[in-house]
Amino acid sequence: MLIKSWIRSIAILVPLEYRRDWIEEWEAELASASHKKLRHAVGALPDAWYLCREGWTMEGLIRDARMALKGLVRRPVFTAIAGLTLAIGIGANTAIFSVVDGVLLNPLPYPESEELVSANHVAPALNLFLVPHSEGTYLHYSEHFRSLESLAIFGEETINLITDGDPQRLRAARVSQPIFEVLGVPPMLGRGFAEGEDELGAEPVAVLSYGLWRQTFGGDASILGRLVEMSGVQRRVIGVMPEGFEIPDEVSVWIPLEIDRADPEMGSLGLIGLGRLAPDATIAMAQAEMRDLMFQLSDENPDDFGRALIEQAGLAPDVKPLKELYVEEVKQTLWILLGTVGFVLLIACANVANLFLVRAEGRQREQALKTALGANRADIMRQYLSESVLLAAASGALGLFLAYLGVKGLLAAAPVTVPRSEEIGIDGTVLLFTATISLASGLLFGIFPALASAGRDLSKTLKDGGKSSTSGRDRHRVRSVLVVAQVALALVLLVGSGLMARSFWALSNVEPGFDSSDRLTFRIALPEPEWPEAEGVLQFQRQFLERLGAIAGVQNAALISAVPLVKFKTASPMESEENPVPEGGLGPLVDRRTVSPGAFAALGIDLVEGRDFTWGDSEEGIRNLIVSQTLARTFWPEAGSVVGRRIRQQGDTTAYWNVIGVAEDVHFERLTEENGPLAYFPAVNLGPSSPAVTRSVAVVLHTGADPLGFVGAAREALREVGPRLPMVEPRTLESIERDALSATSFTVVLLGIASAIALVLGMVGIYGVISFVVSRRSQEIGVRMALGAPAVTVLRSVVGQGMKMTGVGIVVGLLGAWGVSNVIVSLLYDVSGTDPLTYVTTALVLALVALIAAWIPARRASKIDPVEALRYE
Amino acid sequence: MPSVRMTQITALVLRAVVSGHQYGFDIMEACGMPSGTVYPALRRLEKAGLLGSGWENEAKAHAAGRPRRRTYHLTGKGRRELAAAEAKLEEMRQLLGQFGSEPKKA
Repeated sequence: MLIKSWIRSIAILVPLEYRRDWIEEWEAELASASHKKLRHAVGALPDAWYLCREGWTMEGLIRDARMALKGLVRRPVFTAIAGLTLAIGIGANTAIFSVVDGVLLNPLPYPESEELVSANHVAPALNLFLVPHSEGTYLHYSEHFRSLESLAIFGEETINLITDGDPQRLRAARVSQPIFEVLGVPPMLGRGFAEGEDELGAEPVAVLSYGLWRQTFGGDASILGRLVEMSGVQRRVIGVMPEGFEIPDEVSVWIPLEIDRADPEMGSLGLIGLGRLAPDATIAMAQAEMRDLMFQLSDENPDDFGRALIEQAGLAPDVKPLKELYVEEVKQTLWILLGTVGFVLLIACANVANLFLVRAEGRQREQALKTALGANRADIMRQYLSESVLLAAASGALGLFLAYLGVKGLLAAAPVTVPRSEEIGIDGTVLLFTATISLASGLLFGIFPALASAGRDLSKTLKDGGKSSTSGRDRHRVRSVLVVAQVALALVLLVGSGLMARSFWALSNVEPGFDSSDRLTFRIALPEPEWPEAEGVLQFQRQFLERLGAIAGVQNAALISAVPLVKFKTASPMESEENPVPEGGLGPLVDRRTVSPGAFAALGIDLVEGRDFTWGDSEEGIRNLIVSQTLARTFWPEAGSVVGRRIRQQGDTTAYWNVIGVAEDVHFERLTEENGPLAYFPAVNLGPSSPAVTRSVAVVLHTGADPLGFVGAAREALREVGPRLPMVEPRTLESIERDALSATSFTVVLLGIASAIALVLGMVGIYGVISFVVSRRSQEIGVRMALGAPAVTVLRSVVGQGMKMTGVGIVVGLLGAWGVSNVIVSLLYDVSGTDPLTYVTTALVLALVALIAAWIPARRASKIDPVEALRYE
Repeated sequence: MPSVRMTQITALVLRAVVSGHQYGFDIMEACGMPSGTVYPALRRLEKAGLLGSGWENEAKAHAAGRPRRRTYHLTGKGRRELAAAEAKLEEMRQLLGQFGSEPKKA
């Protein structure tokens, strides 16, 4: 008996078509065996296992797939809804993952790119997370570094390129000599920079980007060795870099630095360092060595780079993979988006699982019949799983297509600042990802109906006509859990997008401190060879502004070194007359802008005290400046009026600058940043002072009407005073302000879309379950109504059932949102990650939606005709 | 038809069938191997078409007072492959024999 049941139980493993014969054979053999029956019986297991594995042959799989396909095709509406739901979930995940993969995961396109590091500093005490190099620090590090094989630095600038065509304004990189060796990319034509070419007094040379070479020089190889005028300097072209080589981003020309090796500039830290790790060296080793070198440098240069300065700034070396230099800003947003679409996929899976469960109800008889014919639980589970996996695979393919379209749209809509966006695309890794999530979701939503059906007493099902009440309740519980999970996940997403929307709202209401309406801006730069003297620059500026002011409709025209919300940081420490910084200390860091007279009016910045600059403030011997309110508060917290106070660059012993006015605070860096102290200097000062001459400036025109309509007139004015000067990037101040909001608005939109999908899917889930419950309970409801229960009671009872699930889901969701809120905090502005208003509002929205979803089927229930409902029995 | 790799076990099983053992457990005893080894080999050989199987006469089994048993027999293909394997084995034996006849080193 024992042996018999042993054989029968392991027979489950044997494929159905052999099972009967298999049992008969083993039972007969064991019956005829005279001894060691038990030992022989053990061998049945490896035999059954062998046949089980044989069953999973290609033919078997194809047969399963064909059966599954039949099952799916037979119910096209069900298949379409489930498939589309999944395809959206998988597509969204694939799209976002392809971005994550391209931007964050793909290695940089350089040989042995894992050895490339960014080697710079940070100064957390000053809130500065990228403090690069000066020529002096670079020379010191590159001479002594042993864990770095090589180190190079680069800075960005713009140059005027004069060719036969129009003058062009180009992005250029000032680089130290070994830059191409560090990156491991040799020029495609010609040569890179030779030793000594980055020293002061070397012959001016240039390396062109592939794009510039093709577009401006027609891809002519004879360009090598020719002289080209760049910002007034004749440079010999020595090389052309291969296509796609762009470091820093979108650069067209590389020109060498002019380092004075005898007396290198130590203090202006604006050149970004990148290096290649020596064999066997690690990032940690490089970091430690750089720290030692930094202190050594400090000891050798106590004046420029003293210990006290290092301590006050919290200055520390920061060596990290080069890639992180690029992707730091978008990293978090992308991971959050990936998490978000992951949630959407989970919700989609829950929905499809529910659909499958409902469908399984209708198939109870079919399964009971199959079981009666010898199918076992494993067979039925396999059938369910093959259907769900097949559906998921089809959805995955559709999702991939949606993602392909989506990524294109996403990149078109994304703020221009997605770094490395050229790396984004559907490649092998993305395909693997899609295949994995498709399979995983197929198993995830397939396992619920499979388990539910396998756990059922089938003979009972057959007996009572497929309406077994106990098993119904069990499965109803599974469905309720799925709905609760959907509601909870949807709420987490809703809270997230609610918080982002509030941040966006707060950001758009930030008082920027300037007026962006009806303002045109563009940049110009006067090359030093053509305008060598400060007087000449001053004269040009006056002349140009007069011309611009004479254009009909222009109310104000002025110059500023950089308009607000455009990256431009030039902070340096300052000290007031009353409060000199002690030896080795560090004064408050003051950002600066240089401006022409009229700049405050042109930008709509109010002067709260004192007066604006006049051209007289540019005269020799006069040192007047205007300060921001925050600067006034920082240096003279007690004073009522600060006009007439004096301030200077820390350590500048020549003279103080007199405060002649105070301007209201302006968000110059970004809208989200606290206003720091800021000083305005005249764009040109004829005295031997610093800052003396600003050659690269933004022009701001306050116009009466559509600002872009003035581009032509402004270009005309420029041609009159400086025929060889290009007008760069004419655009409205409004568009600049919009861009500053774009990163947030982009996240808001994507999160909004994700939570809208979640909300709809959640609603469908609740609706589906309640509808199903109603159809199951129609008899009961009919009886109750026949006994006199009013329709309202029925309505309330059904809606109540739906709202109970929703309530549990909301509680879980609120807890979940609270739990993950710290992930999103860094993206928020002026709203806490646990903002009660957002939590309550989104919960109410979700409850309302759930109410509607439950009410529709409930109303149907309340209209049940008792006679009809009972007749069905 | 998929072919089968001739191993010690499959060769033994084929030999057992050729020498007249037709029931699974008889083959097992003839081979001197446990059932968990012999049965999967039987399945493989049957799938490869080297063995065929059937059921013994029901009346005969009843007469003996036991359930009918499954029987195995060699197919034509099985016969050919067994012959080929044995020929190879013989060749090998002769080869080894030559080595064996060489004088051993002192």
